[in-house]
Amino acid sequence: MSEIAAEAAAPKVSAGYRLWRGLKEVLPAIALSAVILIVWEMFIRIFNVVTFVLPAPSAIIVSLIKNRASLAVATQATAFEVLFGFVLAAIVGVVVALLIVRFERFGRALYPLIVLFQNVPKVALAPIFILWFGFELTPKILLIVVIAFFPVTIDMLAGLQSVEPSFVSLMRSVGASKNKIMLRVRIPHSLPHLMAGLKVAITFSVIGAIVGEFAGANRGLGYVIQFASTQLDTPLIFAALLVVSALGLAFYYVVEFAERLLVPWAPKYDPIQLTG
Amino acid sequence: MSVTAAKSIGAKPVTAAATKQTPVAHIAATNVAVDFVVGGRRQRVLYDINVAVPKGSFVSLIGPSGCGKSTLLKVMAGLIEPSQGDIRVANVKPKEAAKLRLIGLVFQDATLLPWKNAVENAAFLLMTADETVKKSDAMDRAAEKLRLVGLAGAEKKMPSQLSGGMRQRVAIARALALDPEVLLMDEPFGALDAITREEMSECLLDIWERTGKTIVLVTHSIDEAVLLSREVHVMGTGPARIIETLPITVPHPRNEESYSDPAFTAAENRLRSLLIESHRRAR
Repeated sequence: MSEIAAEAAAPKVSAGYRLWRGLKEVLPAIALSAVILIVWEMFIRIFNVVTFVLPAPSAIIVSLIKNRASLAVATQATAFEVLFGFVLAAIVGVVVALLIVRFERFGRALYPLIVLFQNVPKVALAPIFILWFGFELTPKILLIVVIAFFPVTIDMLAGLQSVEPSFVSLMRSVGASKNKIMLRVRIPHSLPHLMAGLKVAITFSVIGAIVGEFAGANRGLGYVIQFASTQLDTPLIFAALLVVSALGLAFYYVVEFAERLLVPWAPKYDPIQLTG
Repeated sequence: MSVTAAKSIGAKPVTAAATKQTPVAHIAATNVAVDFVVGGRRQRVLYDINVAVPKGSFVSLIGPSGCGKSTLLKVMAGLIEPSQGDIRVANVKPKEAAKLRLIGLVFQDATLLPWKNAVENAAFLLMTADETVKKSDAMDRAAEKLRLVGLAGAEKKMPSQLSGGMRQRVAIARALALDPEVLLMDEPFGALDAITREEMSECLLDIWERTGKTIVLVTHSIDEAVLLSREVHVMGTGPARIIETLPITVPHPRNEESYSDPAFTAAENRLRSLLIESHRRAR
């Protein structure tokens, strides 16, 4: 019982100290970014690179500020597509995974088809969706769903299988039905895996939205990028790219925040330090 | 519980075996055999098992890997249907007994739910088994069982904050929360270090003495089998069956001093030679 006592005595960490710790963690990344930007800027100035080939970071910032109104409108349109498409992809992904394990025979038939479909280059589907559904929201949402549901399904399936067989035996021994085991044990067990799938899906969703807008749109950041390229307005292309990246990052952290809230027991990995 | 058990066999005329007086076997296996279908071929994994575990006894199954001891335990738990023969727990089929919550199960892995704390985990199976039980009652009972296994004060700990031995204690409390008559344990301490194992053995002895449950333990450890059991069934491979049943006469109450008891040493030596022999024959 001594272990319990030892843990309870862990020191309390102040908010200020935690902020400093967090800052210290991102400091190397900020420093590296600054170095890259400075080298980039100097390279453009020293070699007099033409702006429409590669704009300097300062030119990109200027373009960002100048076009802030139209970029804001485009961001709104793209963000809506991403959000709508992502939620739908998540629902489809989860439902497909549940159907596969619930109806085994159907699952055996469906699963290979899904894997096969995953290998169809989705970007090539964009023109077909435009052809079928026009230039409005539908083809973009559809494209996001077909791109982003796959990681959700695959991770959810892995999660549903992650329950120890002996625990299922335990449940069966007290007469728990398949549905009860699914609801009380398998689905909760799958949540950490599902969240990992959703993190992949959200980044895929941003890609899906941009590809959908490339293929045919009259608004959104993808449309801005394409429009700017016809005008040789390279700084605007980069400015829009910057906004897309920021949007993707923001969405990603929303999902990660949701993960921390919903599945605090999920294993945390340091992606850089190799363990063991 | 005996009322419900009697009801389910009420349809049949009372057999001679059921009315026989002297110690009624709490778990009775008669000519039990189990076949598995492996790659389209039937394979006998358990061969002609006859076991009678008296009520309140502590019985161990010991033997080399592949001797079918875990399979036999699963048959007793109602998780595997015997292909031949008959198995009864408290006079009913194991599946029935499990539904009546007469059977508590403990496996090698504690398999606690990581999103529930110790007391919620200990209450989980009871709440799954009985929808009508009130949550507060289940929690109270789970907390009581946690105290019984020596985890008082750790009710709110999450599984990730518990050591391997403590997690296994929660798993035992979870089984006990069903208030079963029979406790079936499949190498419950197999994943623990030697010292923790001994601690857990003593904890289990203590539980057995206090609750009087009928306990069947599958183990690899000769020490564990001798210290805990009244009777040890030694199992062998090829075909998987019971090769000898050894009564353990080490006097009760048992504790760490029992290890030096002459009866302990004798039983230990006998078991060791039986196991070595069956290992040799397995090769």
